[in-house]
Amino acid sequence: MRNMTALVQNEWLKLTKKKSFWVSPALLVAITGLVTFMLYKFGTDVEEMGSGVAYMAGMLGASGMGQFIAILSVVATSGIIAQEYAQGTIKFLLIRSRSRGEILISKYLVVLLYILMMMAIAAVVLFIVGGMAFGFGGTGEQWIAVLKQATYGFVYSLVYASFAFMIGVLTRSTGVAIGVGLTGTMFGGILIYKDFYKYVLFPNADLSVYGNMGPPLPGMTLGFSILVLVVYVALFLVAGYTVFRRRDVA
Amino acid sequence: MNLEQTNHPNSSQQVSHEQPVLMLDQVTKRIGKKTIVDRLSFEVRRGEIVGLLGPNGAGKTTAIRMMTGLFTINEGDIRIAGQSIRKQFKQAIVHVGGIIENPEFYPYMSGFDNLKQAARMTDNVTDARITEVISLLGLQEALHKKVKAYSLGMRQRLGIAQALLDRPKLLILDEPTNGLDPAGIREMRDYLKKIAQSEGIAILVSSHLLSEVEQMCTRVVIIQNGKLVTEHNIGDPKNATLLPELRIRVDRPSAAVQILKKLEPVQMIEVKEDASELVCRVADADMPTLIDALREADVVVYRIAESKKSLEDEFLQWTGGNQIA
Repeated sequence: MRNMTALVQNEWLKLTKKKSFWVSPALLVAITGLVTFMLYKFGTDVEEMGSGVAYMAGMLGASGMGQFIAILSVVATSGIIAQEYAQGTIKFLLIRSRSRGEILISKYLVVLLYILMMMAIAAVVLFIVGGMAFGFGGTGEQWIAVLKQATYGFVYSLVYASFAFMIGVLTRSTGVAIGVGLTGTMFGGILIYKDFYKYVLFPNADLSVYGNMGPPLPGMTLGFSILVLVVYVALFLVAGYTVFRRRDVA
Repeated sequence: MNLEQTNHPNSSQQVSHEQPVLMLDQVTKRIGKKTIVDRLSFEVRRGEIVGLLGPNGAGKTTAIRMMTGLFTINEGDIRIAGQSIRKQFKQAIVHVGGIIENPEFYPYMSGFDNLKQAARMTDNVTDARITEVISLLGLQEALHKKVKAYSLGMRQRLGIAQALLDRPKLLILDEPTNGLDPAGIREMRDYLKKIAQSEGIAILVSSHLLSEVEQMCTRVVIIQNGKLVTEHNIGDPKNATLLPELRIRVDRPSAAVQILKKLEPVQMIEVKEDASELVCRVADADMPTLIDALREADVVVYRIAESKKSLEDEFLQWTGGNQIA
């Protein structure tokens, strides 16, 4: 456990000590502020929104800032393995008394931490700017909606980040992982009305769809989607681990 | 009896009961249909500096990658301090410090932060040990600079520092003097010798600079086409198959030859009339006899020099004159 904490600390430092690290959070803050301002100025009726907390709930999901967080998470995740190869530091990393499995887990845990951080940043900014635009009061019900939507947003980002993580392990290329990962997020909006498509990752990634409307495809339920996502994420991780564990590092 | 033998008690005699620090046992690596390393076996013991030599594509780097767990092993096994790198990777690799190819670090972090990264991947490296290693390698001044601002020499030193952090039993260095200036090379060589002696660390060095290896190593292992060609001790008189070869310059070579031929312990090799030189082999202990005999016959001796066959000559002989990697 102590080993894993140290490994995660290492990975976190590798990520955050880069100057470019702060670009994504800064972008998130700026875009969140801007979108809120635009909505306030030109969009919805302020009365209709009710409160900043209700607004926050609406924006944290995959149809709001959650989508943007997913994209930024894919970008951050893609380099987490591939960069080690590009820098040659993969050798520095693998000739220690730590198994490749442990190394991979520590990296994946940092991906989780990163998404959590981005969600937290978005939540704080949304609370502040949403409060300023639509009032700070919020009901308990609205706070529960916030938690729900935050969870959905987190899951959405996690699914695509896990996908990019696997692609990064398999291809060792940051560019390919970003490209494939982002293409994946775009497929989220496309629906193919065939029965097999409900078993595909993309229509299941956004769990928030069950809240307001019916299922995207007949036969889909929240539980079904969760199961599909668990299977896919497990598959991504197992595939990544299997390849990473055995691969010759030149 | 060779005099040098009594002066230098054979070190391998003393440690021969000890487990080798590194043991390759019939190690084979195939990539596709090509066999890169073919049933390679050799050992490295405590306090030894062993050079791994071979022409281009001989399999040196592949062998080193297998020792450090970067490459899988098809057949055979590698044991480090008795632990199998295949079956007990963590227990085996914990004894190894290494630089594989170039010393690579996170360029956007300081040297110190990079050492901390390495330290966090070990079980018992304290901050005091980090400080110790830093001063050992004279890294104090560059410590808080970003690694991307380091010269190759500095990076190389930082590489040694990270390799030594966890007090390894075996240091594996791939081309350690690559990119160093002559002063840096000398410093590195002296430093490696020092730690091999004082801490008893076994060091395996791959290098293409043969003269480097000759000056630094106690033994060389030569491989070609993935196979062991020969193992050779450097400067170990007991293992020298021949007596030292001497070139003696005199005023009357033909007269001198007649005298030396009568001396039992002297093996004449040739006479170079035009250079007024004799080439012969003689043990150190018999040298005074030789000199006395020449003096009695009034032969004037101008110069006596040991004619050393360089490692390079031998290397070319062993590997059939292939180009050196």
